[in-house]
Amino acid sequence: MNLSVQLAPQNKHGLQLRNPVMVASGTFGYGMEYVGIFDIQRLGAIVCKGTTLKPRQGNPQPRLVEVEAGLLNSIGLENIGINALVKDMTPVWAQWQVPVVVNIAGESIGEYAEIARILAGKKGIAGIEVNISCPNVDSGGMEFGVDAITAAEVTRAVRQSTGLPVIVKLSPNVTDIVKIAAAVAEAGADALCLINTLRGMAIDIKRRRPVLGNVRGGLSGPAVKPVALYMTYQVAHAVKIPVIGCGGISSGQDALEFIMAGATAVQVGTATFRNPCAALNILEEIEQFMEDEGIRDINALVGVAHRQSNPSGSQ
Amino acid sequence: MFDKIQHLTPIISHEEILPSIYLLLVEAPQITSIAKPGQFVMLSCSERILRRPLSIHRVDKKGNLSLLYSVIGKGTEWLSQKKKGEQLDILGPLGNAFFLQSQAKNLLLVAGRVGIAPLLFLADVALERGNSVTLMLGATTASQLYPENLLPGKITFLTYTEDGSPANTTIATQKGRVTDYVALYAPSSDQIFSCGPTGMYQSLKNSLESVKYKKSVQVSLEVRMGCGLGSCYGCSISTDKGMKKVCQDGPVFELSSIRPGEIKI
Repeated sequence: MNLSVQLAPQNKHGLQLRNPVMVASGTFGYGMEYVGIFDIQRLGAIVCKGTTLKPRQGNPQPRLVEVEAGLLNSIGLENIGINALVKDMTPVWAQWQVPVVVNIAGESIGEYAEIARILAGKKGIAGIEVNISCPNVDSGGMEFGVDAITAAEVTRAVRQSTGLPVIVKLSPNVTDIVKIAAAVAEAGADALCLINTLRGMAIDIKRRRPVLGNVRGGLSGPAVKPVALYMTYQVAHAVKIPVIGCGGISSGQDALEFIMAGATAVQVGTATFRNPCAALNILEEIEQFMEDEGIRDINALVGVAHRQSNPSGSQ
Repeated sequence: MFDKIQHLTPIISHEEILPSIYLLLVEAPQITSIAKPGQFVMLSCSERILRRPLSIHRVDKKGNLSLLYSVIGKGTEWLSQKKKGEQLDILGPLGNAFFLQSQAKNLLLVAGRVGIAPLLFLADVALERGNSVTLMLGATTASQLYPENLLPGKITFLTYTEDGSPANTTIATQKGRVTDYVALYAPSSDQIFSCGPTGMYQSLKNSLESVKYKKSVQVSLEVRMGCGLGSCYGCSISTDKGMKKVCQDGPVFELSSIRPGEIKI
């Protein structure tokens, strides 16, 4: 049975994963946090916490609130900064089999490029995921991801600063994600990841005020899955580069839906909080499905739902 | 290799020992064999998106783990309905631990209501090594006070109620808040350990400053958490040493390093 997938076919390094199950940025720290719990080397890839040029303290508390079938977070990119990441994390990652992708966020296009240059040539990094979709910071983050022209500019700047595979993580908080996806692909991204969280909020009716310290947060978890799935379906049809599906994936069934919608790989995020081994369980469920259905190569399932769709798109 | 264990543990007993406060005993020898006082576990509550952090109340030599918790929301409400023989998905032990100095002899434990939870595990360990342990426990009213018959025998148990209602304890209950009386016992203590609502720590800080207490005071923070493992940054707090994650760098902190008034999780 072949589970391996290639996320950067046009890149000289490539980004070959042993299997299509990755863990999403912001839900798996720097990977070390899970070493004591399960064999993380079995994962397809790890995407580390979103990292900025300088360390960030993040948003005021409370930063998390459970909602129906989902989670609102407003962490605000608290992180150690790119220099500490290079010094403290990359030497550990260089010893691992599992590829580690560094998620980066800048406050300006120049900052994205600078972070990418700092990472160039460092051992232990398999690729860069460009975060133009964080809904929780005031400058940078999502503002670059809601406009096709700036999204393409960020992509181009990072592309020119590194030979590493570049994944761009898109925001769902847009009018037409296909247009942005196409612009980012055109600007030289090796792969796309979608979706980041949807903006939302919750109100404490006893205290009569927003629950989150920063008022708004990003919604993740099972609640966003149908939205993420359809966006994946649309984008995978429109672009020629690999797409990574992300959004509420909690089971093998969920992951397979994204793969059939056209995702070459998937990222598991919020599900890890309830079950730290969720990504591994999902991988095992995919393997079981392939065995049951007599599928020898996972790539044979990528995008199959398109071929089964009504071509006119109407019912 | 794997030192944080996630597994299904059968419930040995489960009882509402005080109004809305439950004592839960599960068989979890893999956790009890490595757990230290002050550490916590993350408990999966049905289909809830997040696990619930509960500090380890006590462990016994048979491998049973006890947890003491208040019902405060949907997760703990679900948990409170679980019966003997049912299984619970528990992840742990997590976080740092109380640090008992080797030369410390007289320990003062200061608890607010269900904040007694992590302190009894510490008391058991301290009594075992021959320390003298005084436990001060405060609550709004006497019906919320932990029953004396469940405490280890050699502990000195002092109780305080805000409404002055007396508990059925060996030493008479005093009226007021527990922190109003800390200054009486602090000077003779080698180390102080505390757990209670975050608001209590500012009062504790003030009381100890009034008697110029300079020795180690460790407090356990009970806050909402996401992952419990240091990966999500949901429970970060600002401290004198920068941002710290309650789940990974804590839950035990030196009182002097935190800013109780700013913790709103």
